[in-house]
Amino acid sequence: MNMISRFFAAGALCAAAIAFSPISAGSARAATATAAPVVVDKQEKVAEANKDQPLSAVRVIVTCQPYDQFRPWSKRPPFQHRAVGAVLSGSRVLVTAELVANSTYLELENPDTADKTPATVERVDYESDLALLKPSTAGFLDKFKPIDLADPSVGDDLAFWQLEPNGTLLSTRGLLTTADVSRYPVDDTALLLFRATSSLQTRDGSFTSPVVKGGALAGMLLRFDPRTQNADVIPAPVISHFLKAAANPGAYAGFPRAGLLFASLRDPQLRRYAGLTNGNGGVYITYIARDGAAEQAGLQVGDVVLAVGDCHVDQDGNYRDPRYGKISIVHVISTQHFDGDVVPFKIARKGQEQTVSVKLSHPDPAKSIIEPYSIDKAPRYYILGGLVFQELSRQYLKEWGPEWFKKAPERFIYFDRYQAELFKDDPRRRIVILSHVLPSPCTVGYEELNGLVVEKINGMPLKDLADIDAALAKSADGFHHIRVIGHPREIVVDAKQVRDVEPLLIKNYGLPEIKNLE
Amino acid sequence: MRRITWLFFFLFAFHLRAFAISIAEIRKSLVRITTTSQEPNFRTPWTPGSISGGVGAGFVISGKRILTNAHVVSNARFLSVERENDPKHYIARVLQIAHDCDLAVLSISEPKFFDGTVPLPFSGKLPQIESSVSVYGYPIGGERLSVTTGVVSRVDFQLYSHSAADSHLTIQTNAAINPGNSGGPVLQEGKVVGVAFQGYSGDVAQNTGYMIPVPVIHRFLKDIEDGHYDHYMDLSITTFPLLNQAQRASLGLEEDSRGIYVSQVASAGSCAGALQPGDVILSIDGHPVESDGFVQLDGERVEMPEVVERKFKGDTVDFDILRDKMRRSVTVKFDRPWPYQLQCSQYDIRPRYVLFGGLLFQPLNRNFLETYQIDDLRVHYLYDFFISEEIYKEHPEVVVLSSVLPDPINTYLNDFRNGVVENVNGAKIQSLEDLATAFQKPADYYVIKMLGEGRPIVLERAAVEAAHDRIQTRYKVRADQNLRDAVETTTAEN
Repeated sequence: MNMISRFFAAGALCAAAIAFSPISAGSARAATATAAPVVVDKQEKVAEANKDQPLSAVRVIVTCQPYDQFRPWSKRPPFQHRAVGAVLSGSRVLVTAELVANSTYLELENPDTADKTPATVERVDYESDLALLKPSTAGFLDKFKPIDLADPSVGDDLAFWQLEPNGTLLSTRGLLTTADVSRYPVDDTALLLFRATSSLQTRDGSFTSPVVKGGALAGMLLRFDPRTQNADVIPAPVISHFLKAAANPGAYAGFPRAGLLFASLRDPQLRRYAGLTNGNGGVYITYIARDGAAEQAGLQVGDVVLAVGDCHVDQDGNYRDPRYGKISIVHVISTQHFDGDVVPFKIARKGQEQTVSVKLSHPDPAKSIIEPYSIDKAPRYYILGGLVFQELSRQYLKEWGPEWFKKAPERFIYFDRYQAELFKDDPRRRIVILSHVLPSPCTVGYEELNGLVVEKINGMPLKDLADIDAALAKSADGFHHIRVIGHPREIVVDAKQVRDVEPLLIKNYGLPEIKNLE
Repeated sequence: MRRITWLFFFLFAFHLRAFAISIAEIRKSLVRITTTSQEPNFRTPWTPGSISGGVGAGFVISGKRILTNAHVVSNARFLSVERENDPKHYIARVLQIAHDCDLAVLSISEPKFFDGTVPLPFSGKLPQIESSVSVYGYPIGGERLSVTTGVVSRVDFQLYSHSAADSHLTIQTNAAINPGNSGGPVLQEGKVVGVAFQGYSGDVAQNTGYMIPVPVIHRFLKDIEDGHYDHYMDLSITTFPLLNQAQRASLGLEEDSRGIYVSQVASAGSCAGALQPGDVILSIDGHPVESDGFVQLDGERVEMPEVVERKFKGDTVDFDILRDKMRRSVTVKFDRPWPYQLQCSQYDIRPRYVLFGGLLFQPLNRNFLETYQIDDLRVHYLYDFFISEEIYKEHPEVVVLSSVLPDPINTYLNDFRNGVVENVNGAKIQSLEDLATAFQKPADYYVIKMLGEGRPIVLERAAVEAAHDRIQTRYKVRADQNLRDAVETTTAEN
């Protein structure tokens, strides 16, 4: 009862804030005689509140310029994002990582005074989609009030902060409707995510913004869909984990994983087969990642995970969280623990229960044979006589657009999706591909070739692009033999002609350099 | 791979032309074929399939036979044939049918049918570009015989859309070819130069119709002389034009413009053991192969595979090749057609399947994919790369769990649809027969492991036995499995 009346009252405040046109509409006031005084009164209170207290929100303007994965020696045209960052203690600003991906220039702007300062990215985690910014001008954030982290629960009222063009703080109500583990945008990482409903108005400058409960930070806005009025919010516990890990002086160690995949154990036939005679919980391990935490701990495919630490795992992989209710056990593993934590896993193997100590770890994305994401980094490439060699990565595949998993070359999509299975024991570090051809006198007859996987050059298998120089040195007959998977099997270029044509390529195609192996 | 959508023509149009003597004789030998067909049902493969039909054309050839397209009489359950000025309907049967080149010959039960007919003569050479042709048939637009005219626009290799996997010589014409023209003759100066069979719809391309030329027709008629159709022979290799000078020099080729590079040799194909990847083909049966893959054949410049188009089972083909810079001669014998038909549209078949615990397992093939419109990456990869990645070595048949007939035994198994079976109780599954055999072996549990990561499907024997009759009754399943794909009907003679 209390919650509902509070919500409706708050709703009126919200409507007033948007509909309110300063002072002039005398007739409007008369028409809504009973409502108007209350509205004006509350609005003034908010305005007064704004004036009294220093802000905890700062405008962030970012210029981004990602690399063109198809022309890896050049960048796409720059574009700008505008957002609202949360000012944290220690003179730092919290925003989402997507805001600063491939950023070339960042600015903070005081909404009140319009003072600006450049800023730099101090820490960024693309998996949890969070970034910490530091102003280049010392003392720039002194006038701001740092915001603390809140402890929200499902059903809480949230305030979505936005900044008007004149710098006024605009606060819109929302309701925290669900909290559960979901996929985050950049790497499909699974972490706790809040969902809220709100009649948020799309405003320029809201790429991300703080979501507040009772004056403390409940989360950062990840996405908002005005049609469904649904907001996805990176929750306070995830932010807290990020900040704690970011405070470590050494390298940033991200959200850890157990290095396994599991399937639900609802099917009674599967349960009996797995030797489970009592109880109705537990999940069936279907995959153990190479060099992952589970593999190191000796867990096996077919083991049943019954509990992680003190948390009993049900047959769908959920546990009962005191604050969030039934959510995935992944929250315990990834957000309630840190890289290096040792956690006891209670398992059943062929019906026998035992406890296994698992040292959770964050897998290095750079160790994947097909990198899941590559941001703020120039793509590697090697141009040989016009043949453009690159390394297959998901960033490369995403260049085919939002439907890349339908439009990119089928063999590449297949390799990316099933890389754990296909390249389990593969000695390669990366998969070298012939991306396309820049026509030159060396490449007559090869102009249409594209999307080929390169196995060897001059008989030497390529572990990654950096091997190309050594492979070229192996040329025995004055030619370079490039062996690819499938048709056309092998293409050949003249070794001397390739060297001679280099200045021509650089001049004709405006290449800054013939290769980048950084 | 180009994917062109073709239309099939099974309806009518009308047009008359004065060409006195020829027409009178020609008209006596033209027939209108009405087919009642039954399409195999891949979704519920224990049911007989829906009944439909269509109309096409055909004409009398030597031996008291009628020549028409395979697609006119595919899946036929009843064939009725009519002639002009004859009120009777005659019952016909398929004598021989070739789905890989869209041709078929029919016989008529009533011997008097052929009285007064003259087998239409075939032309001895390909018609010239821009020369006139006339198309006879029973297309949409009317009920009586129709003639349309045009010129020969192009002579080219094209995909024959009936099987959707075979390409042969075609003659393109701008004479109107519409639904119902299929199987009808195309004539020039009183001789047949082709059988009208496919074309583009007006919104894709105009005045673009195709006929099967005489060389393809003759090959078919010669092939069936022994009473058995042995199919086209295939080299089953992929080649790459040798246009790059560095590549040519590294292979030891002289500066002239001959030679193509062999990039792949299918291990299940005719050239396995004879040709190797890396070989350069210099000539085929004595015809020099130019570096763009064309040869001179009978005064025409055609693609190299045209030479193999004219081969029969038991024939050989000679290659002059360069291997490791040394010239050699290699002979390839064609003793079997390409064994894997999964990428061809198939006809006159019954779908093969195994039903176990309400789980329906079917082999992956074109008909199956078209029925289920599966969106799964792994299934598509296995289909698209079946030949180029030699997936048939591990999976001569790719067995897919296509659907689940809901029952308590399988109520947790819906997520397994579109999975590919890897093994059952440890026995590797490489064909539908393997699966049927594995399910027949008694075991307490049937543990079905699918390709890729995921839990196994576990079915308890007692539950399977209890569910069997329940599922059969509920879903009116007549048979648990069908492992034979042949169809027995009374419209075909063996």
